[in-house]
Amino acid sequence: MQFLKKHGIWISALVVALLVWPPQWYPMSVKLQMTRWFGAADYRPLPASKDPQAVQAEGFCPPDPSGWRNAFQIEGVDIQASAPCVADNPYIVAAVVKGTNNVSQDTLSKSGLTPDAVEKGRDLDGDGDPDEIHIRLEVAELNGGSNTSGNPVTQYDIAPGIRPGLWVFAPKFVGMAVENFESNIARNSLRLPSPAIRVEEGDSVRITLENSHYMPHTLHLHGADHGFTDASGEGNDGVPITSEIPVLPGTARSYELQPRHTGTMFYHCHVQPHVHVMMGLQGLFIIEENRPNNTLQTMNIGAGFVRAPSVASREKYDSEYDLHYLDLDKELSERIQQSNDPRLVTKSMHRDYDITDATTDYFVLNGRSFPYTFRESLVVANEGEKVKLRVVNGGGKGIALHTHGHKFTVTDRDGAILPVAARAPQDVVWLATSQRVDLDLRFENDGLHAYGPGIWPYHDHQYSGVTTDGIGPGGNISAITYADYLDDSGWPKTQGVAWDNYFTEKYYRKEIPVWESYMPGLLSEAGVDLRLLLRIVIFAIALGVLAASVLRRAKS
Amino acid sequence: MRLLPLVLLLAVAGAFAQNHAEHEHHKMTVDKSGVVMNENTENLPRDCEKIEAEHEFEIFAGRKYANDIPGTIFGMSETDVTVAPCSRVTVKFVNEDQIRHQWMVHGLPKYLYPAGMFHIEAMGGQTMTGTFIVPGEDKNYLIHCDMAQHMEKGMRGQLVVGSGSGDLWSVPGVSDSFYRSSYLTTRVASFVALLAFVAAFAVTWACRIRS
Repeated sequence: MQFLKKHGIWISALVVALLVWPPQWYPMSVKLQMTRWFGAADYRPLPASKDPQAVQAEGFCPPDPSGWRNAFQIEGVDIQASAPCVADNPYIVAAVVKGTNNVSQDTLSKSGLTPDAVEKGRDLDGDGDPDEIHIRLEVAELNGGSNTSGNPVTQYDIAPGIRPGLWVFAPKFVGMAVENFESNIARNSLRLPSPAIRVEEGDSVRITLENSHYMPHTLHLHGADHGFTDASGEGNDGVPITSEIPVLPGTARSYELQPRHTGTMFYHCHVQPHVHVMMGLQGLFIIEENRPNNTLQTMNIGAGFVRAPSVASREKYDSEYDLHYLDLDKELSERIQQSNDPRLVTKSMHRDYDITDATTDYFVLNGRSFPYTFRESLVVANEGEKVKLRVVNGGGKGIALHTHGHKFTVTDRDGAILPVAARAPQDVVWLATSQRVDLDLRFENDGLHAYGPGIWPYHDHQYSGVTTDGIGPGGNISAITYADYLDDSGWPKTQGVAWDNYFTEKYYRKEIPVWESYMPGLLSEAGVDLRLLLRIVIFAIALGVLAASVLRRAKS
Repeated sequence: MRLLPLVLLLAVAGAFAQNHAEHEHHKMTVDKSGVVMNENTENLPRDCEKIEAEHEFEIFAGRKYANDIPGTIFGMSETDVTVAPCSRVTVKFVNEDQIRHQWMVHGLPKYLYPAGMFHIEAMGGQTMTGTFIVPGEDKNYLIHCDMAQHMEKGMRGQLVVGSGSGDLWSVPGVSDSFYRSSYLTTRVASFVALLAFVAAFAVTWACRIRS
C-alpha cells in the first residue's frame, strides 16, 4: 500500500505511455520482436479518402464582346485575325501603325492611347513609310502595395490567383490604370511584359521615358545600335555608372538611335538591374529590314502574335510571333507589397534582398503562366505554313526551349543572321539570360519539320520552368496549335484531362490533389488518422505526468 | 478643354474603350495637353435647385509637393478642398512634372457623371481646367491620381462638400495612413521591449523582497 502510494503514479504513467506509444514510432527491432511474440496486427483500414472538393473554375476562355479577334481594316491598316481566345485591341494596332498623331479621334479613343504615345513623322528615305518615330513609355507598377488596401493594387494575374509585384514599361494610355473605379484590376493592355517595340533599320528613333514610377529608372537598348551619347552629348546608354544620371520620378528623358542593323534585340532598365530588370522592366526591341511601304506595328502589346507584320515578314512567313520569357522570384516581387513607403520599399528591394541567395518561383511567357498562356500565346497555323518566332529569355535562368511535334531552325542569334551552313533543325534551343533567337517553324508534315496536325506543347524543358511555384502544370507551357484544333472561341480542343483544376486559385495554392479530378477516391486527399492523434495526446499526457512525478521525487 | 463644353459622346470612350465589361458613355475632350472627362457646367444635381456658389481652385501637382510629406514621391498642393453644397467648382490643374498626372473625383451621382467621376488629366508640364457641379449632400469625395501607385505614393486628397461626412483615411496632411509601417526593425523593437520587461520585473521583484 505504502509502495503504491509512493510509486503508483509514475509507474502507471509509464505503463500508459508504453501502451499508447504510436506503432509508427516503434524502432524496427521492437516491431520485429512484437511480431515474434504476437504476430501481425489485425487489419485496420487506412484513413478513407476525403470527399473531393467542389472546384469552382473560372471560364477558360473569356468572351470577346468587342469582336477583337476578327480581322479588321482600320484607317487603311490591315489587321490580321487573331486565333486564340484573347486578342489584342485592334485599335491599338491601328494607332501604333499609323502613329497616334495620324489617326482619327475615334480610333485614338478606342485605342486608349494618348495622342503622343507613338508619333510618326517624315519619310526620310522617300520609300513610302515614316522614318521618324517617337515612342513614349511610362513605368507602371502592377500588384503593388497600398496604404489603404490590404490587397495588391492595380492587379494583374499571371495565373489564377497569382499576383506577383511587377514593374513594366507601359505605352502611354489616357485615364485610369484600373478597369474602373469599383475595380482593382489593371486595365486591359496595362500588363506584363513591356511592349515589344518594332522599328525599321535606319529609322530615326526617339524613345522618351516618362518616369511615372516612384523609383529612378533608365532605358538601355541591349544589342540595338545606339550611340554612347546623343547629338547633344547627353548619355544615351542608360547605364548610371558610366553614362548618365537616371530618370528620376516625375521627370522624362529621351534616348535616340538610328540602328544600322536588323535583328531581334532587347531593351531594359539599367538601374540596379539585378532588381529592376527582374521586376519586369524589359521588352523585345526588333529592328526590321528597311523595305518600301513598310509601316510597322511599332508596339506589340503583351508581345505574342503580330497582327500587322512587316513587309519582309509577310514575304517570307505566313505569320509572326514575339515570345518573351521571364522568370520571377516571389521573395523579390512581394517586397513592393509589404510596405507603401518608397524609402522602406527601396531598402527592402535593394539592400535586404540578396539575389545571390535567390530562388525562382514563377515562369511566364508573354506575361502569363499556364493555363493563361493558352488564352493568348498559342502559336496557331495551318499545315504547309511557315511561322517566324522571335524569342527572348529575359529571365535570370536559362531556358531550354522545346517544341513538341516540330523541329525548328535557328535563323538568327542575338540579332545576327546565322550562316545557312550553321543551321540545322533542332527541337531544343538553349537561351542564356537576355539571349534572343529567331526561329523558323515549318508546318510541313515530313517527319522532320513537323509530324502533322495537333496540339503540340512548347515549353522550357528545364523542369522548374513548367511549374508555378513548384506546382505543375504551370510556368511557361503553351502550345503550337493547328487551326483545325481550335473551337470557335479560340480554345484548343484538347483531348486529355479536364482543365477545371488549373483554372482555380486553389490548385495553385496547392490545395487540390493533382489527380483527384480523374481518379477521385484512389488518389484523393487521404483522411486524417484521428486514432493516432488520440494516442499522441494520451502519450504526451502520460509523459508529462511521468516527468512531473519523477522530478518531484528527485526534489523531495 | 480648349474645345470647351464640346461634349463628345463617344460610343466607347477613351480610357474605357479597352474595358470589355463596361461600355459607358463618357463626355470628354482630349487633346495633346490632356483630358477633361464628364465636365458639367450647367446640369444641376437632383437635390439642388440652383447653383449656390462658385468656387475656383488652382491645384498644382508634382514631385515638388512630396518634399514635405515623408514617405511620398508625388504630391498635390491641396489635398483638402472644401466647397459649398450645390456649388459649381472649377479646377485649374497645373502639372509641374514631366509626366502625366490626374485630378479625379469619385462618387458623384452617376445620372450626371458616368461612372460617378469627374476627371482632369494633364500631360507633363501642362495645365488643364475643368468644371463640375457638386450635389447638395454633405459628403467627402475621394480625389486622386489614378496612375499606378500615384495615389499610394502621395496623390490622394478629399473634396469636402458642406460639412462633409468625415475625413477619409490616408490623406497626406489630413489623416493617418490606414496601413502604417512600423518604422522600427524587429530586432530593435523586440530587444527594447525585452529590456523594459526585464527591468520592470527586476524592480518589482526587488521592491517585493524589501517590503
